[in-house]
Amino acid sequence: MTSHQFIVASPPTDAISALKFSPDPNSARIVVSSWDKNVYLYDLRDENGKIGEGKLLQKFEHRAPVLDVCFGENENEIYTAGLDWDVRKIDLNTSEQTVLSSHEAGVRHVLYSREHNIIISASWDSTLHIHLPDAGANPDSLPIIVPLPSKPFSISATATKLVVAMASRALHIYDLKALALLTAQADSTAPGGNRVEVEPWQRRESSLKFMTRAVACMPDDAGYASSSIEGRVAVEWFDPSPESQARKYAFKCHRQTAEDGVDVVYPVNALAFHPIFGTFASGGGDGVVALWDGLSKRRIRQYQKYQNSVSAVAFSASGQHLAIAVSPGFEDGHDEVPEGTVKIYVRELGETEAKGKGAK
Amino acid sequence: MGKKRRGPSLEELLDRPWCYYCERDFDDLKILISHQKAKHFKCDNCPRRLNTAGGLSVHLSQVHKEQLTQVQNALPNRMGVDVEIFGMEGIPADVLKAHQQRVASQFQQAELDRQHATGNPPTGASSGGQPAKKPKLEPVSDLKKRLAEHKARRAEALAGGSSGDVTPSSAVQSTPTSGVYAQSPQIAAAQQYSYPQPYGGPPAAVTPHLSQTGSPVYSSYSPVGGQQLPGASPYTPSGYPSPFPAGLPAQPPVSYGAPPYTQQQPPPSDNRFMGLPTASNLPQRPAFGVPSVNAHGMQKMHMGHVPPTPAASGHSNGDSAQPTEHVSTPVDNQISGAANDIVPQAEGSSKPKKEKTKPAIRMIYNDDTFSPEEKKAQLSRYAYVPDQSTQTALGELPGNAVVGAIQESDTVIDPAH
Repeated sequence: MTSHQFIVASPPTDAISALKFSPDPNSARIVVSSWDKNVYLYDLRDENGKIGEGKLLQKFEHRAPVLDVCFGENENEIYTAGLDWDVRKIDLNTSEQTVLSSHEAGVRHVLYSREHNIIISASWDSTLHIHLPDAGANPDSLPIIVPLPSKPFSISATATKLVVAMASRALHIYDLKALALLTAQADSTAPGGNRVEVEPWQRRESSLKFMTRAVACMPDDAGYASSSIEGRVAVEWFDPSPESQARKYAFKCHRQTAEDGVDVVYPVNALAFHPIFGTFASGGGDGVVALWDGLSKRRIRQYQKYQNSVSAVAFSASGQHLAIAVSPGFEDGHDEVPEGTVKIYVRELGETEAKGKGAK
Repeated sequence: MGKKRRGPSLEELLDRPWCYYCERDFDDLKILISHQKAKHFKCDNCPRRLNTAGGLSVHLSQVHKEQLTQVQNALPNRMGVDVEIFGMEGIPADVLKAHQQRVASQFQQAELDRQHATGNPPTGASSGGQPAKKPKLEPVSDLKKRLAEHKARRAEALAGGSSGDVTPSSAVQSTPTSGVYAQSPQIAAAQQYSYPQPYGGPPAAVTPHLSQTGSPVYSSYSPVGGQQLPGASPYTPSGYPSPFPAGLPAQPPVSYGAPPYTQQQPPPSDNRFMGLPTASNLPQRPAFGVPSVNAHGMQKMHMGHVPPTPAASGHSNGDSAQPTEHVSTPVDNQISGAANDIVPQAEGSSKPKKEKTKPAIRMIYNDDTFSPEEKKAQLSRYAYVPDQSTQTALGELPGNAVVGAIQESDTVIDPAH
């Protein structure tokens, strides 16, 4: 409520599907993917290096709405995924686009694992594709295809693990090292032999009763948070020991009591962990962004409601900024997107604004 | 039997301190103030809690170089920082009035619901219907005055023989006012047990306990009571109430220690109870065994029981309390049950979030198989035909540098398919 907030200039014209900060802590670049088939690259700094409303640097048009985007090894390359079934790599310096692989349905998510130098995409064809960054340039380099029991809805990775949240409340945790090894081996195998059944490190059932909307892993590799369409967030730990599992919990959020006393429950569309403090932000269909301390089970703060559904949230690598993508909610059946309703807000966080308070 | 607590009265509700920012009400002004400090005037950047929004604003600008734009955790229309609120101070008059109106209407609604749930008439305090009967208590001066009159009449009657104007009912009515309460049981008992007796017989001989009270007032009195008896001689319960209710209101209703609402809200089935005078708010006075005996007998008779044994003096308080409880217990149950039904509603309306055990929920998105994105992807404007021919791509996209890249990448990947 008290921190500075600005609206990024020239936002997308249709709903935002994803928003990511550059991995470089000194950079203030963000990439945004949108249903208007474009991926936008912004730099929030002006000529004097001051972070403000920023400017649109580049725009990359796709053949279909883009559902996800992520930065690659550095802030000069990004990967995109979308409804045209393709996973692309875009070199920001040359604007060169390379298709890494094609799924058999829309691709919901793409992420880059810095530690293992692989790109993982998750598609509604119920597969993960795992690529090496040079896959596009090298025709022999094929992605390995990991079949999933259900459609993946959200993925997130730590340094060692990949969490895939799927339909039917299924959740798989993969060991990234194993996936990386398999991908390296698949390179040399013959085409067609790249479909690999990988046993996940852990199979779990979601702790939430309803469809998983988002997962986000803790930066310290200890666990993850997941959210559902039914205004709830669960926090769990990877460690399979009973003590650690006993620590898991879930809480209600992003709800409003209507005038007739009915609790209106919004989906929790987005989760993002703070890279330094380990707290996390949730963004809901109610247009509210809240910061939570997952360890002390406290809400740190809740920001003033935005006019529309929050579709994505992201912390900068330095942890000093929080970007919030606001788009008219497609979850409530309103599919038209009036002009001027899609906005990207960037909050400058106070030094301790996102810091957990610790148990009192 | 202590007074049963049944919901606060409207005045109590209106008097409760409440928070301007979130409309919550509190037991105590101190709690309200600490609530406001913790919820609405807390600094987000440090542990400081300020007393007012203005204080927080100054603190934020001086310490944290920030601007306070709204009061946190406040209702949407109360977020303003320009209103200076401290506890109940500073609430604008119109808001205060609106709040009071809402509390009153909630109270009335709760009262109505309660009536629906219990079938009880409203309490006298709340609204119309059957107003509770207030016991008619004569002030002591009146009692003394009447005693004096009575004594005068007695003297007159004694002097002039059994005069016609001294009716038994008036005699009975006035006796208990004499202040010698200890005698009234015997009077009652005498009346009860002297009926079958020959009128001329000395009452003292009839019932043993009468002999204990050789009060001259009494002994001279009983024949008077006897005068009435020929008419009332049939030993029917209906004959009994006539002297008693007439006499009872004059007595302090000691034995009716039941809480007022017992009388004020009798369930319909207990109509016979209605005939009884109601208890005042006076505490129970166990010292007088006398009226309790009366009440005891009364109740039993009213309930169709056999009249009590003449061991009036032997009746203990506990004994007398028992039937009262017996009668009132179902009422209590009903009322407390009804209260249980009502209380969550009443409280629920004021603070809906906390009290609702299982609130009705309405999910904005409720499809467990298709995610919102999948649904959205079905819209025709987002439809993508997976025809990867370059023509399609060209047709869809305006000619720019990006299109070139797509074509190139497509040709690269095509062999792999």
